[in-house]
Amino acid sequence: MDAGQRLTDANFPEHPEKATLEGKNKFLGFWLFLGGETVLFATLFGTYLGLRHMNMDGPSTEELFKLPTVFLATMLLLTSSLTSVYAVLALKQNRVRTLQKWFIITLILGLGFLGLEVYEFMEYVHEGHTFTSSAFGSAFYTLVGFHGGHVAFGCLWIITLLIRNWNRGITLVNAPKYYLFALYWHFVDVVWVFIFTVVYLMGKVG
Amino acid sequence: MADHNNTETNIHRNEALQRKLAFKEERKHHNVSFIMMILLTLVAFYAIWSDKVADSFAVLFILVLAVVQVFFQLYIWMHLSHKGHDFPLWGMFSGILIAAITVVGIAGMIWTS
Repeated sequence: MDAGQRLTDANFPEHPEKATLEGKNKFLGFWLFLGGETVLFATLFGTYLGLRHMNMDGPSTEELFKLPTVFLATMLLLTSSLTSVYAVLALKQNRVRTLQKWFIITLILGLGFLGLEVYEFMEYVHEGHTFTSSAFGSAFYTLVGFHGGHVAFGCLWIITLLIRNWNRGITLVNAPKYYLFALYWHFVDVVWVFIFTVVYLMGKVG
Repeated sequence: MADHNNTETNIHRNEALQRKLAFKEERKHHNVSFIMMILLTLVAFYAIWSDKVADSFAVLFILVLAVVQVFFQLYIWMHLSHKGHDFPLWGMFSGILIAAITVVGIAGMIWTS
């Protein structure tokens, strides 16, 4: 069977994302990549933890952070993680329209999160907390901004994936792609769990 | 002959039903883990927001909550508990191990300097 052919309910494999050698390789390679990403974020977390009290004349973490905005952003990202797992469930049942619907909701929630982050950063700059204002500023924007960059990249990724495969149904070629995007999106949420805990909540107790 | 065909369709129908039930079950797991994660998040925010928990304990407490939440993500939403995830588990856990050493190492180096 041609791997680019639309799958039917009759010939649909149990794990379409791992039904081809290419799919298997992508699956393993992506998990190893996520292991590496964990270490990459760890370096940024370590730096932030070391430098978070060095705010010079700028505002301290306690003065700066607004928990309601952070809470809202957390809820948006957590819900988008759920909707992307719903899309994977639709993938396993060969329901391409349901998959597209859930991924679009995921995308909208992701964009909402990005909007909140941009708003938050603008407020901080207004209060004199910038990338170059202190060691705390540099460490903060590198860590949180790098996570935001991951969200932005994920949004571009899913837009491209959806447009490219809009009328194709689920095939053995695009099933691994959808699946890996969902893994990536969960991972971005995992990183955010540590950001809201280590950066924002711990910033409030000093 | 007709009988034979009949059993075959029955078996097929049975399999389809089994699969459907399995998906329903999986969906339920996802919903339960979503509710759990919301609760963990709420507890973490409340512990800090309310100012009722002593600071040093609160930090430890919210870190534990974060770790629990990450396990929900990895095992239920990213399907690490499913079959055929031996190598991904190795990759991820060696990543987490190095990450832990890195955080402690870098933060410690800056702190002591």
